[in-house]
Amino acid sequence: MIFAIFIPLLFALFVPLLSKLKERIHTGIFVLFIPLSIFLYFIRFIGKDFVPIKQTYQWIPSLGINLDFYLDGLSLLFILLISGIGTLVVAYSIYYLDRTERLGHFYVYLLMFMSAMLGVVSFDNIFAIYTFWELTSISSFLLIGYWHFKERSRYGAQKSMLITIFGGLSMFGGFILLSVIAGTTSIRELILHADIILNSNYLPLALILILLGAFTKSAQFPFHIWLPDAMEAPTPVSAYLHSATMVKAGIYLVARLSPIFSSYEWFFIIVSTFGIVTLCWGSYMAVRQTDLKAILAFSTISQLGMIMAMLGFGTKVAIFAAVFHILNHATFKGSLFMVAGVIDVQTGTRDIRKLGGLFTFLPITATLALFGTFSMAGIPLPFLNGFYSKEMFFDSTLQLTQSGNGIAQFMVQIIPYLAVIGSIFTFVYSMYFFFGVFGGKKHTMKLAKSPVEAPIGMLIPPMILVLGVIGIGLFPNAFNGTFLAHAAEAINPLSSAGHIKFWHGLNTPFIMSLIVVGVGFVLFKTKNVWKKIYDILPGRFSFNKVYDQIIKNIDIVSTKITNKYMNGSLGTYISLIIGAIVVVTGFVMIQTGGFTISFDNLAEITIIELTVAVLIVIAAIATIFSNSNLAALLITGVVGYGVSVLFLIYRAPDLALTQLVIETVSVVLFLLAFLHLPKMRKRSEKPPVKLKNIIISVGFGALMTLVGISAHSSNWFEPISDYFLDTALPIGGGKNVVNVILVDMRGLDTLFEITVLGIAALAVFTLIKLRKDKEEAD
Amino acid sequence: MNNLAILPIIIPLISGAILAFVHSKVSLSRTLAKLFMLINLGVVIYLTLEVINYGTIILETGEWVAPYGIVLVADSLAAVLVLTTNIIAVAAVFYAPHSLTEAKEKHYFYTFFFFIISGVSGAFLTGDLFNLFVFFEVLLIASYALIVLGGEKVQLRESLKYVLINVFSSILFVTAIAFLYGVVGTVNMAQIAERVQEVDQQGILTTIGILLFFVFATKAALFPLYYWLPKSYIVPNPVVSALFAALLTKVGIYSIIRVFSLIFIHRPDLTHEAFIWIAGLSMIFGVIGALATNNIKLIIAYNIIPAIGFIMMGIGFFNESGMSGSIYYLIHDMIIKTALFMLVGIIAYVAGTSDLRKMKGLIHDYPLLGWLLFIAAFVLAGIPPFSGFIGKIQLLKGAFENGEVVIAIIALGTSLLILYSVMKIFIRGFWGERQTNNKLEKKPIFGMVTPVIFLLACSTILGIGAEWFVPTIESISSDLLNPQNYIDSVLKE
Amino acid sequence: MEIIISILAGIIFAVAVYNLLQKQMIRIIIGTVLISHAAHLFILTMGKLKRGQPPILSEGVTSYTDPLPQALILTSIVISFGLTSLMLVLAYRTAQENKTDNMEQLRGKPNE
Repeated sequence: MIFAIFIPLLFALFVPLLSKLKERIHTGIFVLFIPLSIFLYFIRFIGKDFVPIKQTYQWIPSLGINLDFYLDGLSLLFILLISGIGTLVVAYSIYYLDRTERLGHFYVYLLMFMSAMLGVVSFDNIFAIYTFWELTSISSFLLIGYWHFKERSRYGAQKSMLITIFGGLSMFGGFILLSVIAGTTSIRELILHADIILNSNYLPLALILILLGAFTKSAQFPFHIWLPDAMEAPTPVSAYLHSATMVKAGIYLVARLSPIFSSYEWFFIIVSTFGIVTLCWGSYMAVRQTDLKAILAFSTISQLGMIMAMLGFGTKVAIFAAVFHILNHATFKGSLFMVAGVIDVQTGTRDIRKLGGLFTFLPITATLALFGTFSMAGIPLPFLNGFYSKEMFFDSTLQLTQSGNGIAQFMVQIIPYLAVIGSIFTFVYSMYFFFGVFGGKKHTMKLAKSPVEAPIGMLIPPMILVLGVIGIGLFPNAFNGTFLAHAAEAINPLSSAGHIKFWHGLNTPFIMSLIVVGVGFVLFKTKNVWKKIYDILPGRFSFNKVYDQIIKNIDIVSTKITNKYMNGSLGTYISLIIGAIVVVTGFVMIQTGGFTISFDNLAEITIIELTVAVLIVIAAIATIFSNSNLAALLITGVVGYGVSVLFLIYRAPDLALTQLVIETVSVVLFLLAFLHLPKMRKRSEKPPVKLKNIIISVGFGALMTLVGISAHSSNWFEPISDYFLDTALPIGGGKNVVNVILVDMRGLDTLFEITVLGIAALAVFTLIKLRKDKEEAD
Repeated sequence: MNNLAILPIIIPLISGAILAFVHSKVSLSRTLAKLFMLINLGVVIYLTLEVINYGTIILETGEWVAPYGIVLVADSLAAVLVLTTNIIAVAAVFYAPHSLTEAKEKHYFYTFFFFIISGVSGAFLTGDLFNLFVFFEVLLIASYALIVLGGEKVQLRESLKYVLINVFSSILFVTAIAFLYGVVGTVNMAQIAERVQEVDQQGILTTIGILLFFVFATKAALFPLYYWLPKSYIVPNPVVSALFAALLTKVGIYSIIRVFSLIFIHRPDLTHEAFIWIAGLSMIFGVIGALATNNIKLIIAYNIIPAIGFIMMGIGFFNESGMSGSIYYLIHDMIIKTALFMLVGIIAYVAGTSDLRKMKGLIHDYPLLGWLLFIAAFVLAGIPPFSGFIGKIQLLKGAFENGEVVIAIIALGTSLLILYSVMKIFIRGFWGERQTNNKLEKKPIFGMVTPVIFLLACSTILGIGAEWFVPTIESISSDLLNPQNYIDSVLKE
Repeated sequence: MEIIISILAGIIFAVAVYNLLQKQMIRIIIGTVLISHAAHLFILTMGKLKRGQPPILSEGVTSYTDPLPQALILTSIVISFGLTSLMLVLAYRTAQENKTDNMEQLRGKPNE
């Protein structure tokens, strides 16, 4: 069964081959069988006596990441949606996408998405879910960018990717947090440990992180802005990912996890608030759109908000209504997207201002749209499924009781009103969509093509969906006990629908519906009068602009910051580095009380050493003030020779000798190099720079001295060298202990020290030679 | 048997020397380099398996017992890192001939290349602090030679800065070793650890630890010491950049892991706590740098810094999840950074520029290249099921276990921006219409792409097949948290 | 005396860093040469000064100075020498190619 999830992905491997045949057989025909067979495989689980099925495949058990397949009612609902709508969308795409398109790419992405989405809804392991979750974002990105030669497509793709992956990553954080709190990665076990989670200090953080994932994916206000731009994708994709399935992943997630959080009042407050605001804002903004797909996009946003709100309510009625509406929305919105695609293909435009009066030209399409829009509007007719779930929604808003804090109480009071307002605009845009396209005067001359009815193959998929609208409307209870009830129970075990009825008498929900239809009708008719309100709200403000500003500012601000300090100046870099070393190390030394000084056990001070030391200091300081190459060279040499004299005094004859030789060779080298390097100039620093340099260098010198004195004063251990003195002769076979150490005990050091010299020599040679070669070549 | 530990150092050293003699015969050099590299890889695989199955291999060089002579300690951390180094090196040696001019190959490229490998392996394997300094110098001086190879104007300019800053930090390294010797009287790391523990890291010791940290942090390019890195990493040939990105900064971070899990572990309130902040700032400033540029090579170069931040974060947590995460992420990053530098190298080559504003629609001519970059971007950002994901899960677990929420959120945000910075290359460079005024004809890139595919395959295996590796990494992590194991095995107590 | 040498090494460090912060290449290189002297002096100091005879074993001598720091310094001197010579050539080549020895003029442009 777990295999079913990977079938589309595996099949995708063959698509590039099959797409080579596209001139003869449209690639979609092959692909069609994949979702169809998955659908047929899973549909047999529908039934009254369905019990959840579990299969486990170990993936990374060490980290608790396993592919635990868990099929319960909710998963089944989504799997059937994914495969069912998937079948219709692929069928539709065969007519929608021309053979000249890159069909191979399209179907690979689509199949990738199918596997990803199946994975999201059928795994019990949070990290498995996250894995597939990101894959849905990635495939959505590729599908939106399918026509990537269009600027808008690239923009939309990037936007959707940034927003959904932002959400994905934060959800990932939330998941890890949950797994750390509860010590498990399985959702069902998390639910069992809900009390631990609810008592954790991290509860609010975990909730927010996870909800960010859900809200971005399900296009909740204010993260909804990516969805309208996602409409740049080919229409089958919009129907499939951006209306029926992927955008419901967030809904799925909230539904899945609500058993953990539902008793936490902030869950109710946050989810319901975002849901209801999204419902209102989406439907309000949908009326303003002129592009058919944009209307549908905002409509989707609004409907997702409504489902989200119901999940927030968490009551028996609300949960059932949410599940029911997931199904209903997929049917009517799927068909409407396909209708929009038909209109686009047949007329050459999706701009509603150019459309109108198409009923006579496209009668079948119009009929399909009629059912779709009227169901969406929630018009009380017994053969429209949209009405049933809409009325349950109203019912659920009335049944809220919250004994929690003030905010929750307030929410309970206003939610029914907001629900009605949102639904009124839903009614308005539904009518606007239908009558704007099919009603009114025809002005076909504005169209690029003269409209004719679409080929029947393109109409069959929306027809099937509309049959679904009607079928569910007429026989809601056929789907209830066998199917929907299982899904609702998976979210809330107490939830069962009883009997779905069309007529409950003249109760409050029905009155609310009547208000929606009445006020909605008036608003629809007077739209031209009140539409100026959009100049005030949102006016010139838009969340898109906020997004664009953020993206723009990311570039500008990061460039500004980086150019400020990454200025290519070695001086700046060294100052910053040494400054940091001095400040931090100094701080640590003070903090740990590191400085110690002890005057015991010191070597005596003799005049000669002191003289040499003073000479070295004078010479060293003189290097700063010297302004001639030769002088600088000589005084640097003085320091070097001075050091070798010190070596000699301090009983290190080998060192003194080596230092002497090396110093001499160095002086020669310097002489050679100085011949070629420009003459020394006077130092020309401005006083503040000079001061800064002095502070840094004196600070560093002082730090080194202090650490050195402390280190020397705290010699708590005998050095290991006694061993060397004891063994140099008997084991090492040499009297000069330093030599024995170098060639024997630390022979590895010496071997690689010679290697360093060798590399340096080769590098010098290369530096000079490669240039010569180049000059000769020139 | 114990001599196995020195082979990964000696084989490249000898190979480098041999190749210096045949440097003028390019095709012979290439063949020999590939051959030597594969032999070395074979040896290292054997070594790693031995270490993982039978425990740490310790070689007391010249038969001088620890702590007096230099010991090489092939524990599982060192072995695994040497193995990763060699995997990268194999990819690089196959990429090099396609990327370099013959002149550069003739001018001892392969010799320097093998010396770098030798130095890096030595740094991972040595158990002696001064010897670590020597290996640092070997790999650094080989890197100086490689970074200037070609001698272009810009290259020389940036190399000089690179060399100067590294020379400064090397000197600081020696000085810090001297200070440490002054206090504990030894340079053997296990014995240093033992002695530091004995006096409970009191007095000046923490200060000396911080100095050592700065030395390693400069090499590792941590905040606020990474200034030298971005520009200098983009001037040499891509294969050299790839090696640098994969190896040099990682030797620095390895040294931090070693020293701050073995020696300076008694004042975590000062050291490890600070690491977490340094990690966070490295992430933020690194990714800001990556977003600030349109130079594709620079985008990848800046991305080294936040990755180092990720690794640092786990060391800061100093718990089992965090340490495992750091090590997993370290291995992951070594591989993916190599692949990315190679990729942008190819992209710059086929586009004739590394300025993102001047390229578009490359996918029409180079679909494979485009998709490799696409995958690499997700690998880099730690999106499942690739290797970065595994490391990130463990790191974030470590964060939440310690209650470090802020850094976890910074890490998540950084991941998004990392993805954005690299995805920009895909969206702007590969998508869009085919460039019409394309004077550039289609170039063959198969030879260059193959090593990238190999590396990405490694990365995928590390992700999807994580179960094969996670237990090993977790045991490394638990070893690091119990330094007594290391001390006992070296000092045989 | 150890304290005096520590101060001496500190002063050399300070002077060296001051040179490193200069713009002209020659001064910077002089800085790196000086800084290695300072480091070596510190190593020597850490092994105690003038305790006993030079570490060349001979009859009748019981006390020697610590040989290990001397060995370390030797290694370090040789390495420093390699570095210095490489750096000199590098500086020379850089100045030649870029036609300036002023590091501030070698910044490069952002976005290059």
